[in-house]
Amino acid sequence: MERRREMSTEYGFSFAKEKCIQCFGCEVACKSWREGEFGVRWRRVYNIWQGRYPKVKNLSASVSCMHCAEPPCAKACPVQAIQKRAEDGIVIVDTGKCIGCKACLKVCAFGAPQFGANGKMQKCDMCFNQADLSREFPPCIETCPTKALQFGKMDQKEKIALEQDIQRLMAL
Amino acid sequence: MSMKKKEDHWSIDRRTFLKATGAGIAGAALGAFPFDSFTLDEAMAAAAQAGETVIPTFCAMCGPAANCGVYAFAKNGRFIKVAGMKESPANEGSLCPKGQASPQWVYSRERLKYPLKRVGKKGEGKFQRIAWDEAIGIIADTLKRQKEKYGPESLALLSPARRTYSDYLYRFLIAHGSPNYGHSGICVMQRSFAFMYTLGDWPRIVDYGKSDVLLIWGKQPIYSGPAQEGVRAFVNAKARGSKIIAIKPTVEPDVGLADEWVPIRPGTDAALALAMLHVVVNENLIDQAFVEQWCYGYDQLKEHVQKYSPAWAEKITGVPSEQITQVARIYATTKQAGIDTGNGLEHTPSSNDAFRAIAILIAVTGHLDRPGGNLLGPAPNKMPRPKSVHLMERYTQEWVDKLVYPEFPKPFQPFVEGTSSAYYGLFDSVLSEKPYPIRTIIAPGSQALVSTRGPKRVVEALKKLEFYVVVDVARTADMPYADIVIPTATPYETGHPFEIRGNWIMARNKVIEPLGDYKSIYEFLCDLGVKMGYGADFWGGSMEVSMNDQLKPFGMTIDDLRKHPTGIQYEPTPRTYEKYESTFKRKSPRISGAPFLPQAKVAIYNTSFKEAGFSPLPEWKEPPESITGTPELTMKYPLILSDYHTSKVFTASWQRDVPYLREILPYPTLHIHPDTASERGIKTGDWVRVESPHGRIKVKAELYPGIRPDTVMMLHGWWQGCKELGFKDFPLLDGGANVNIMYSVDPAKAFDPLVTAMASQTLVQVKKA
Repeated sequence: MERRREMSTEYGFSFAKEKCIQCFGCEVACKSWREGEFGVRWRRVYNIWQGRYPKVKNLSASVSCMHCAEPPCAKACPVQAIQKRAEDGIVIVDTGKCIGCKACLKVCAFGAPQFGANGKMQKCDMCFNQADLSREFPPCIETCPTKALQFGKMDQKEKIALEQDIQRLMAL
Repeated sequence: MSMKKKEDHWSIDRRTFLKATGAGIAGAALGAFPFDSFTLDEAMAAAAQAGETVIPTFCAMCGPAANCGVYAFAKNGRFIKVAGMKESPANEGSLCPKGQASPQWVYSRERLKYPLKRVGKKGEGKFQRIAWDEAIGIIADTLKRQKEKYGPESLALLSPARRTYSDYLYRFLIAHGSPNYGHSGICVMQRSFAFMYTLGDWPRIVDYGKSDVLLIWGKQPIYSGPAQEGVRAFVNAKARGSKIIAIKPTVEPDVGLADEWVPIRPGTDAALALAMLHVVVNENLIDQAFVEQWCYGYDQLKEHVQKYSPAWAEKITGVPSEQITQVARIYATTKQAGIDTGNGLEHTPSSNDAFRAIAILIAVTGHLDRPGGNLLGPAPNKMPRPKSVHLMERYTQEWVDKLVYPEFPKPFQPFVEGTSSAYYGLFDSVLSEKPYPIRTIIAPGSQALVSTRGPKRVVEALKKLEFYVVVDVARTADMPYADIVIPTATPYETGHPFEIRGNWIMARNKVIEPLGDYKSIYEFLCDLGVKMGYGADFWGGSMEVSMNDQLKPFGMTIDDLRKHPTGIQYEPTPRTYEKYESTFKRKSPRISGAPFLPQAKVAIYNTSFKEAGFSPLPEWKEPPESITGTPELTMKYPLILSDYHTSKVFTASWQRDVPYLREILPYPTLHIHPDTASERGIKTGDWVRVESPHGRIKVKAELYPGIRPDTVMMLHGWWQGCKELGFKDFPLLDGGANVNIMYSVDPAKAFDPLVTAMASQTLVQVKKA
């Protein structure tokens, strides 16, 4: 197993499933403020079924990109188009380098890599160019009526725990 | 502008953050310049930075009342973005997807840009452009001529979903002299009528903040205002440990957040409510003192509900009798418990029975106007009441008698919004000409071909109707049958009137100029009113004069109000409870002015209804087609079909043309249980043919574990395409996706006799298409 990089702080999304009302506000806020292309979903709201009739429940999940502590997409990319920024942990893609091979999509547990009309990978970038993340939140966070979706700094261990949590949720 | 220096408030400590996916962070949004959610200062700074203008106003994407506060951003006269207004008590800075998509709706290719006059045959949809004044003139001439020849009652107006302009529609009708406001028989009035004539008022507010048990019954607390107070109350109640029981045919996100699901067959809620009364009565789970002091007819009720046992109800509702008994017991025996009812109970012949039974249940178990229960009256505050725009005081018995198809029986007219004829009944009268034919229908913000049951008959009526005026912001399903089409401004293009929500009043401010040759619906009514000679009732045609008149009790003008960009919030005052004496004496709005409750007590045994020839106690009535009512049909049509009133991204039957919203729900979708689907070889994504005794539709299947296996459900209102995404319109009748064609309109079977609710349940077969 690879030696982990030393603990650093980075940004991440957290999600409280018992507060999510599955309103899709976060998904559409992202599209609206970032002028998203039709058919491309940087943030995705999922409905997750549990149980069998009549003991059925559903859960909701809102997932964009986890900006993983150790992003598998970055490792899988054959042209090193995907990097995790040292200063804030945000994982970004250089569309100039991207060849549209979709290797990243194959390894992502969260469905984060999206492909639009130009065939290049695009995904959530935490609005790092649009917002001053030291003082502001991305629109998906701000629009959430119940504050189920949150944003903040965390260390690598917390990030990994969050990734596992969301993976478990999506595997249901 | 100086930026406030922020500490690292959102670097949340590790333990709290790890709990986030479990228990959730109680986080206030912090930060000087949040993105997409602003205070006024923040919004103005953000706009200045981007070279944009920002206008505080209200979102326009749902109803019924004015709603969420927003900051609307425009650049070079183009509306580009919407952000939530933090100061708004409704949404506190958040927004739902519809709000976010506002600019797409405003600039939709479906927008009507100029008035139209029909040149082809009715139904051809051939129009020529005319000027606004000419259109007004044509309508006025027609109405004057018809008023002279047939009487003013020959004019009917369709009710849109309730909006602030609804009272202005009523005002026009009353100025003209017609009682025929075509109320939908679809929502809210069905509920409020039954509650008011049982309890003296409609205790619509459930004390979520204190309820230990909550019955969410036929209600969708999330989709009806996802960014609003109700949702926060719901989520907070859950966090507080309230036991939430959801009574509805399918699992939606609110059920996912609830503790228990009661999977009831659509249209059978009266049976459930009567069985719950059976349990409460037989196990004596009542508030004895309240019943003795404040209820009329408890003894008759005891006798009456004996036949409605849980075992009996199980056969009809499909809910196990044990579950019925448990739910009744837990509700009745929990001191702080509330029942939140919704539209799901309003579309069936036993609608009034269901609400009456529930009203009685609330009362006899001691939960009326008590902490944690169903509360009487709005949250009180110090806000003055504006002068009403309605002219209710002009109603006379003669007017009531002229109603062409009363929504509620004539002895009970007018009801709280005014006199009303059943929406569907207006079209029926065009065909039957009984008691007389309606000659003109004006349709503001409403599409009869999609929004009411019986579109096949509505089409025939539209072909025959002398004069049809469609008044709307975008193309509607009915438009091909219009004689005149009046385009109107969206609220984002409208700078009036003010709006009130609870203790908050704010001016509605215009974001951009109208995109074509049109005005607001308010201005349409003013212009038409003046042209008809009703200028004295229409403020000489001036909305400014109107608003100032309405605001007189506030001691301010509309210009004064605009000086408060985010409006004014009036101080809340403490709520009082157990307001039985005053509530039970309340006068009804009917011509006689008689009180709602003749005995000044809860009308368990309803003498008012009895005198008018209706059942004094709630009863069970089957929908026109149902498993227990028409078992002979189940060989051919084994499944129950019903439809949803609300959805996650659309309001009613509009907004299908908004790309960001359509992307999320692109197709008319049938929710079908996986077992029911696999019996038919159906998989998610398959197109399926759904057939009832009255029609057939073609929709996409979605295998849905959270639905009764004997039931299928879909959203109503599917007709419109979306040009940007390449979706075409669906046919409006057979072969389309318009669920409303599937239901009976048999006058003997399909209507609630008291509140003219029309059934939206039938029996169907589903096959792969």
